[in-house]
Amino acid sequence: MADTNTTSPAPVKPKKAKGPIRWEAIIPFAVIIVLIGLYFKLFFDTHMRSLAEFAGYHATGAEVNIRTFETSFFDASLRVGGIELTNPEKPTHNNLNIGEVRFSLLWDALLRVKFVINEASIENISFDQPRKKPGKVKPPEPEKESALQKEAEKLKDEALEKAKTQYDDNVFGNIANMMSGSNESDEMKKLESKLISKEKMKAFEATLQQKQKDWEERLKKLPKASEFQALGDRLKKVKTSGFSKPEEVQKAVAEVQTIMSEGQKKIDEVNATKNDFDKDLKLTDEGLKEIRTQIEKDIKDLQAHFKIPKIDAKSIAMTLFKRYTGPYFAKINHYRALFYKYAPPNIVNKDNKPEVTIQPRPRERGTNYEFGKVNAYPTFWLKKAMISSQFNSADPNSKNGNLKGEILDVTSNQLVTGRPTMASITGGFPSENIEGLEFTLKFDNRTKDALINAVMGVKSFAISEKQIVESPDLALSFKSAIGGVRSTIDLVNYKELTLKVVNEFKDIDYQVAAKNKDVEGILINVFKEARTTNMIAEGKGILPRFDLDIHSDLGQLLQKGFEREINAKIEELKKKIKEFVDNEINKQKEIIEKQVNELRTKAEAEIKKVQAQAEEQKKLAETKIQEAQKDIENRANAEKAKAEAEANRRIEEERQKAEVEKRKAQKAAEDEAKKQAEKLKKQLGF
Amino acid sequence: MTLIFKQLFNFLKLLNSDTGHNQLAAGLACGLILGFAPFLSLQTVLVLMLVFVFRIQMGAAFLSAFFFKFIAYLVDPLSHQLGKGVLENPSLRDLFVEMYNMPIVPMTRFNNSIVMGSLVLSVVLAPFAFFAFRTAIIKYRILIVDRFKKTKAWKAFTATTIYNWYCKYDALYG
Repeated sequence: MADTNTTSPAPVKPKKAKGPIRWEAIIPFAVIIVLIGLYFKLFFDTHMRSLAEFAGYHATGAEVNIRTFETSFFDASLRVGGIELTNPEKPTHNNLNIGEVRFSLLWDALLRVKFVINEASIENISFDQPRKKPGKVKPPEPEKESALQKEAEKLKDEALEKAKTQYDDNVFGNIANMMSGSNESDEMKKLESKLISKEKMKAFEATLQQKQKDWEERLKKLPKASEFQALGDRLKKVKTSGFSKPEEVQKAVAEVQTIMSEGQKKIDEVNATKNDFDKDLKLTDEGLKEIRTQIEKDIKDLQAHFKIPKIDAKSIAMTLFKRYTGPYFAKINHYRALFYKYAPPNIVNKDNKPEVTIQPRPRERGTNYEFGKVNAYPTFWLKKAMISSQFNSADPNSKNGNLKGEILDVTSNQLVTGRPTMASITGGFPSENIEGLEFTLKFDNRTKDALINAVMGVKSFAISEKQIVESPDLALSFKSAIGGVRSTIDLVNYKELTLKVVNEFKDIDYQVAAKNKDVEGILINVFKEARTTNMIAEGKGILPRFDLDIHSDLGQLLQKGFEREINAKIEELKKKIKEFVDNEINKQKEIIEKQVNELRTKAEAEIKKVQAQAEEQKKLAETKIQEAQKDIENRANAEKAKAEAEANRRIEEERQKAEVEKRKAQKAAEDEAKKQAEKLKKQLGF
Repeated sequence: MTLIFKQLFNFLKLLNSDTGHNQLAAGLACGLILGFAPFLSLQTVLVLMLVFVFRIQMGAAFLSAFFFKFIAYLVDPLSHQLGKGVLENPSLRDLFVEMYNMPIVPMTRFNNSIVMGSLVLSVVLAPFAFFAFRTAIIKYRILIVDRFKKTKAWKAFTATTIYNWYCKYDALYG
């Protein structure tokens, strides 16, 4: 301790006791509050605008511009003006322009940590507007490609590859080639050597000639007429009546039978020859038939060589709409990839991992209890958003649309509000000739399965010049057309998507340019018939997998037109091919057929003649035999009658003798009976 | 960060001085509540305001909050069970429904089981913690600081010029 005796210490000023409140901190605190206020007043909006542009750029893959970004703490409001979303496919234009978006939150709800917007408005909407300067497009990131991006790119590539393989421009190229019909005669000459029927006919002709020789030989060997005559003469000499002895009869019959047997042998020989000939003729006919079939086949092959097309309505429609739908498909794939990238994992089931059911995790986060009551605020509730846009007819450069719509009850908990989210927009874009725009959306999350149903339609919109087919032979484009579209989308549980888009096209003015002027004329005629058509896209799938099928009646319309025009060409070509075949093959075929017919006539006549002779002699022999038999029968009958008469006479004599004997015996019996009767009477005393 | 370090030095200085045991104990007790409360909640803001406006030792509060954050993490299961029991109590349901739909109150996030459990724990423990810390500080000063100040080494150090300069600086800029 200090020495107090020597020097008196300087009086120590007692420190003023400090109170419980830290007054000296109030000013720094106030300064900090003021600084924070100043930051929010001066810089917050600018920083938020930059942040929104940065986030938008990374989310959409193209530059996003925001002209104004204004927030107000006291009004809890936000106003964003001049929103421009660059089209990544066409950086000189915007995908979407929004004049202004504004809304304010209710402080009453904010104090309850709820976000409730009574009314929001979105104004001056326009699409596909040119930009003052081209927007920046985000370059691809190949090195740090995530599994999700890979999946999205894979889907995009699959869709492109599908379109590429299915619907190329060849369908019209082939039709044009066929219709040009040039140099087919030269082609046919080249093909002459390849005709199988011609080769077959040569072989057939050689075989036929050999057969002709064989048959001539066989015909020469057939029994001659003189041989049959000799048999006839022999038959005539055979005795057929006036037989004195039965042995004579037997001898005559035996001789006739011998002659008949010899004749039968010759007839059998002739018949065998005829059968063989018939068989050969049958084979020859089959050969000819085969040649005719081969000729038909050769004609078909020739037609195929000249690419006579089989018109496929679907292919035509796909080819026509490929270039039209291509950019839209690219856009759909782009947004599908974005959806896949940013959607919650439980919705898109990323990486194919099994879905994790949502459950409270008490260890880290505890359990949140909702003490809601009827008419209370949900965590987020946009009660009403107005969409409006007015076309300025006084301004020739105005590209705004006439839009009017509202979005109702966007909320984080539909069970609290008890209402589904509804949206409806109607209007049009006069500067773009888009009329009758209608959009309705219903999002109902109150049931077990969340349902999103959207209907979008445009009554009419102008289609400016659009290239459809571009091949070396043909260029085809829509010069102008009026389109209409109606689409319905149903999404169940954020996964099961059903989509149907019906496009109607009217007053289509096609522009056709072909290398061959005949083809051009034909195509112009064909497309005149298809000034009104449609295109229907239908799809169903579990996201992100989704298959889209496109069909159109344009294919059928064009098919009819093409068939009419092409059939004439086909017939002409077929005629030419037929002529070619006739010249080259039918001539030869006719010669063969003539030869066959000659052989047939000659052989048949010869055989018939021999057969007739043989039959005649056979008949003679049979007559002879019949005569002999008749004579023998007559004689036998006479002998038989004589014998019968003698027998009858003898029988009569014997019968008479017996009769006499019988009468004698009867009389004797009667006498004896009378004697016995008299004797009995005496004994009895009568 | 400088402010936090300064507050921590002040805490050490005050801890080793003769006065301010109530400030220190209050700071440590407030730190307990801060440690148990979620960072973004109304109760955190209220306690920070109390610490800032009233003469409560901020360094003690921050240090205590840092320490009790770990404790709170460890007792989360207990907090969850406690909060669950409170929030599911039927007799309190009407109260909670009103509170949930009142302005400002939902900012406390009382409807979360862990927050509610932690809040109940911290509010119940805070007065006990205050007196426990107060007693501990006083005992520390008597048993450790006073004895240390009586050591020759400390006396030698206080006789140095460096110490005198420090005292002068402390008197001027505290």
